[in-house]
Amino acid sequence: MAFNGPLDEAFPTPAAMDRSTVSKVQKGFKISARKLPISKSGPIDEMSQKLGIPVPEMIFGDNMVSIEHLASGWRLEFNAFDALDRVDKTDKNMLKVAYSQEWSSSREKTHEGIKEIVKPFDWSYTTDYKGTVTKGKDFELQAEGADPIPVELLKRPDPILFFEDVVLYESELDDNGISILSCKVRVMPDRMLLLSRLFMRLDGVLVRVRDTRIYVDFNTRKVIRDYTEREDEFEKVKKACQIPHLLHHFYKLRRRSLRSLFWICSLKFSTTEQILAALSSF
Amino acid sequence: MSDLDKAIAQLRACRPIPEAQVRELCHKARELLIEEGNVVTVTAPVTICGDIHGQFHDLMELFRVGGDVPDTNYLFMGDFVDRGFYSLESFLLLLCLKVRYPDRMTLIRGNHESRQITTVYGFYDECLRKYGSANVWRYCCEVFDYLALGAIVLGASNTLEPSSVDSDQEGSFRSTQEYIDADTEIEVLNSSGGFVSRVARQKPKVFTTKGSSPAKTGPPGTGASSFSKGTAGNSTGAVLCVHGGLSPLIDTVDKIRLLDRKQEVPHEGAMCDLLWSDPDEIDGWGLSPRGAGFLFGSDIVKTFNHTNDLSLIARAHQLVMEGFKEMFDNSIVTVWSAPNYCYRCGNVAAIMELNEDGSGDGMIPRSNGEVNRSDGGIVKEKEKVLLNGPARRYRVFQAAPQDSRGMPAKKPVADYFL
Repeated sequence: MAFNGPLDEAFPTPAAMDRSTVSKVQKGFKISARKLPISKSGPIDEMSQKLGIPVPEMIFGDNMVSIEHLASGWRLEFNAFDALDRVDKTDKNMLKVAYSQEWSSSREKTHEGIKEIVKPFDWSYTTDYKGTVTKGKDFELQAEGADPIPVELLKRPDPILFFEDVVLYESELDDNGISILSCKVRVMPDRMLLLSRLFMRLDGVLVRVRDTRIYVDFNTRKVIRDYTEREDEFEKVKKACQIPHLLHHFYKLRRRSLRSLFWICSLKFSTTEQILAALSSF
Repeated sequence: MSDLDKAIAQLRACRPIPEAQVRELCHKARELLIEEGNVVTVTAPVTICGDIHGQFHDLMELFRVGGDVPDTNYLFMGDFVDRGFYSLESFLLLLCLKVRYPDRMTLIRGNHESRQITTVYGFYDECLRKYGSANVWRYCCEVFDYLALGAIVLGASNTLEPSSVDSDQEGSFRSTQEYIDADTEIEVLNSSGGFVSRVARQKPKVFTTKGSSPAKTGPPGTGASSFSKGTAGNSTGAVLCVHGGLSPLIDTVDKIRLLDRKQEVPHEGAMCDLLWSDPDEIDGWGLSPRGAGFLFGSDIVKTFNHTNDLSLIARAHQLVMEGFKEMFDNSIVTVWSAPNYCYRCGNVAAIMELNEDGSGDGMIPRSNGEVNRSDGGIVKEKEKVLLNGPARRYRVFQAAPQDSRGMPAKKPVADYFL
C-alpha cells in the first residue's frame, strides 16, 4: 500500500496555472512567466521515471518562462523538465564531495560488500540547457564573434517594463553546496534580455556557472542566443574573491556577488546562435 | 515568574535573550542532556516533528496546531537551525522548553546540529549578526554535541483517540470523534482539526528475506531474547526516531547505545550515517552517487524493524511536499515540519501524533495472532511477520501567514542584469 500524503487532488489546477502566469506583450512579442510551489510527490515520481534520474528536492515542475512572437507563433520556453533532461545520466561526469576520499577509505575495511553506486548520474544537476523551441524555427550556430549580444545597449538605463525571476530547480546537494537553475527576464521598450543561469557550488571542490542569454530586438525581430560555460576550482575562486567566507555566504549573496565571480572564473567555452531577422518571414 | 519562564516568554515573542542567559541555559541543558542515553526512551502519547530550520513563525504555527507545551509531549528529530531567518530563537526556545519540561520535550540531533554545517548554512552568521560575537554559536554547538542520536517510543496505541485539538473555526469539524473506529491506522487532519483522509488497518504484512535464521526478540530495543519469535504475545512494536536513517554498522538499537556521541558529527561511521542516510527504492545498501553517504532499501528497514521489534521508523532529513511520506509498506516514515521551506518552496508540513495505549499492555496488533494460528504456531524460516504500525495521526499545516512574521512579502526587484 502506498500512502503518501493527503494531497491527492490534481494540482495545480489549470485555473491556478493561469492565475500564476504573468505576461507582457511588447511590440508583437509576448513574454510570460509562471511561478508555483514545488511539485508534489506524484508529479515528482512521474518526472523522475521519465527522466531516468532522481529530481532535485526543490523541483518547480510547473514553473516556466517563455518568449512568443505573436505573428509567427514562434515560441521559446524554459522549463525544469527539459533542463533536467540535459543532465548527464551516466557516471561520466560525476563529481565527488570534498570528504569523499576520507569517507570511502574508512569504509573499505568495514563494508567491502557495499560498493555499488546506486543510479549514477551527474548529481550536481549541471545542464547545458538552452531553452526549448516549442514552435517554429530553431537557432543556427554562428561564426565565432559574428553577431554578439549588444551589451552596450543593455547597459542603458531604459525603463524596465516587465521583470521576473523564476527558479526552475534547486538542490542543496545533500548539504554540500548548491545547484540552482533560474531564469531572469527584463523587458525594455525596444529589447529584452533573458538569462537562464545554472549556478553550482560544490563546497571545497568546484564553482560552476552555465549561462544561456536570449536577446530579442523587438524592432528588427532578431533573436540572439548566447551560451557560456565557466568553472574553476573552489579554492581558486575563494582566494580570488579575497573576502573571507564570501563563498560560505554565497547562498544569500548569490545575486550580488555573481558579477565579481565572472571575472574570476576562467572562461572555458562560449557559443552564439541566433535567428537572423527571421521571425517576420514565417 | 522564574527567569526561565521569562526567557520562554521573550523567545516566544521572537526576541533573543541576552548572551549571559544563553550561556546559563546551555549549561543547564548540557547537564540535563548528559544524563540521557544515545537513544532516549519516550512513552506515548507523543507528537513527533521533523526539520524546523529556523522557521520560527512556522514553529509557533506547529505548536498552535499540535497543542502547546507542556500540554502536548513533543519529540523533535533535529535540524532546528540553518536556512531560516530565526535559527537562534527557534533553537533557544526549544532548549528552554527542554530545560523547563525535561520529560515532555525530547530533542535529538540532526546533521545541521554541527559546527561545520552551521558555519556554511546560516546559524553561525545569524549568531554573529545578532550578538556581535560567535560566543552564542559556540555555546549552542556545545549543546549540539550532547543531543541524543535517537529515541524509542514505547506504549503507542494501535487505535486512535478522538482528536483533542478542536477547531475554533465555524463550519469545520468540531471533532473527529464520530468517525473514529478501531480499524483506523492512519488519519490525516488539517491544521484546524478537519478531516482529510483515513486509511484502515491492513492484514499483517509478511515478507521474506534471504538467509538469516529467525532473530530472537525481546522488549523493544533491548536486544534481549526472552521471547522466541512467533508467539502471539510478542507483538508490541516500538517506534525508532532518528534524523537520517540506518547505518550498515548498526544492526541493533543497542549498538546505537554504545556509540560515543559527545563530539562533532564525524564525516564517517555509524553516528554520521544515523544523521545523514536516506531510504531509497533499492535492494540492500547502496552508495550515494555523491561519493559519501549510504542509501538503504526496503529489505534493510524490514529486517531492522523485525530484529529490533519495531513497528515503524520515523525520520526527517528530506523535504517532502506533502509533509510526510510513508515508504516500504509503512515500515518507515519521513516527517517534514518546515512549511514553505526556505520561504519559497510552497510545501505543507506535518507532525505525527502517537496516542497512549490505555490498556497498559503496549500495542498489540489485532490479527497477528490469527496469522500465527493459521500457521499452526510454527513460523517458517525466512518468513517474517511485520508488526503492525501504531495508529498515527498526521496533522498537516501550512506556513504561518506572511504578516505575522513582520516581513514584507517578497517581490522581485527589477535589476539591470547582463
